[in-house]
Amino acid sequence: MVEAERETLTKGAIRLERPRGRVVPLPLERVPWWALILLMAGLVVTYTIATSAVYQETLRFLARGVVRTLQLSVSAYAIALVLGLIAGLARVSKRPVFYTLGTLYVEVIRGIPLLVQLIYIAFVVAPALGIRNDMARATLGLGIGYGAYLAEIYRAGIESIPRGQMEAALSLGMTYGQAMRYVILPQAIRVILPPLGNDFIAMLKDSSLASAIAVSELTHSGRLLTARTFRAFETYNMVALLYLMMTLLGSLGVRILERYTSGGKQ
Amino acid sequence: MDEAPIVQVYDVHKTFGGHVKALQGVTFSVRKQEVVVIIGPSGSGKSTLLRCINGLEPVDRGRIIVDNMEVTKPGTNLFKIRQEVGMVFQQFNLFPHLTALQNITLAPIVVKKMPREEAEALALSLLERVGLKEKAHSYPNQLSGGQQQRVAIARALAMNPKVMMFDEPTSALDPEMIKEVLDVMEQLAREGMTMLVVTHEMGFAREAGDRVIFMDEGRIIEEGTPEEIFSNPKEERTKLFLSKIL
Repeated sequence: MVEAERETLTKGAIRLERPRGRVVPLPLERVPWWALILLMAGLVVTYTIATSAVYQETLRFLARGVVRTLQLSVSAYAIALVLGLIAGLARVSKRPVFYTLGTLYVEVIRGIPLLVQLIYIAFVVAPALGIRNDMARATLGLGIGYGAYLAEIYRAGIESIPRGQMEAALSLGMTYGQAMRYVILPQAIRVILPPLGNDFIAMLKDSSLASAIAVSELTHSGRLLTARTFRAFETYNMVALLYLMMTLLGSLGVRILERYTSGGKQ
Repeated sequence: MDEAPIVQVYDVHKTFGGHVKALQGVTFSVRKQEVVVIIGPSGSGKSTLLRCINGLEPVDRGRIIVDNMEVTKPGTNLFKIRQEVGMVFQQFNLFPHLTALQNITLAPIVVKKMPREEAEALALSLLERVGLKEKAHSYPNQLSGGQQQRVAIARALAMNPKVMMFDEPTSALDPEMIKEVLDVMEQLAREGMTMLVVTHEMGFAREAGDRVIFMDEGRIIEEGTPEEIFSNPKEERTKLFLSKIL
């Protein structure tokens, strides 16, 4: 009995030892299948586009939509970053007025579907402000909407910094604002870079909602094209593929950010 | 020498959350160049007292006056007062995203609008004073606990405060690092810095303290010279506390 046990143990130990210099086969379940599938799909798609006149024409037509989508996402995200910072600071403020206003903004916006917000801002708020440009209305709508989500990310980041940091800064004679700017926020930014990046990707996808208010971004361009050519299959294949390429590139960026924020020294 | 006390505390009360009584009528004062050591069991209100003196914690009742400015008066410029009162924390609280040098220069540059070159020269001289000039460009996580606390002391000194407060500065340190911090503090005391020190280091209290205050349950139970308190305590609670720690 004991002998038999020792036997299997030794066998096990021998089997665990990896022979040096030889390639160790990767277990099947650890192969990044999704990446391989994507790669294969990418090759097929590239081949199809390279050989198909229809796809090339579709791509040419949609290219302007891609540019519009990127313009819209980047400018709306810039607005959201600023609004989110202001609202996030208000949410951690001890002053009731700021806290109440910040919380009101976050709760109201997060409780309304983004599509409804976009339509509301485009047809109610923007006209009242005298904004007529489609792109400007969509930028404002997405920016205000995502500002509320970013506010919560900022708040979580600020609250993740130990209280002693603020106390140390105040005890040196800094004002609350100086302490935030020079001590708390620089540390919080490192923590929140990855979630901020994720929300940029989410916003890039949600920018397709702007097609509902007649902004000629990618989704809207796709609809225009199908209306003209009736080639829904090729068009939406291309639309989906273009979004996927943008978001995959975005995810890659976020992964690099994550490595930078977790791996780097303080 | 100016004989007016630089820190005056009158009948200060402080309650947390409506029922935890942290301070129950504390009155004392600190004269210029005096080193006052506050001892007492944990939860006796020592740390709260320090935090009230530089306005990090508002008081419920009573008055605190630092360098002729009343901390407890509504609308007082607390930022001005805190520039006069350096504070060293148990957990160091260095800014982890800044080097030792930047930790020291930040407040002079931001608060006092000191030119960067001047602030850096000041910081280097302070680092030399605490024996860490070669660590100027290290980040806090590259320093030992004792080194971090010495940088924290230098950071507080950079604002050229009139009073230095220490809140259990050696309690979070490994035993072999305590001495290097106490040495810096004793040197400060010899140079005539006014100091208010909460500590369990009785050796430091004897060596550097002019006066020892024993607190328990938010009250000052007894105060006197280190000799009086350690060798001849009058109150039962003081005797009991000292018998436990000495």
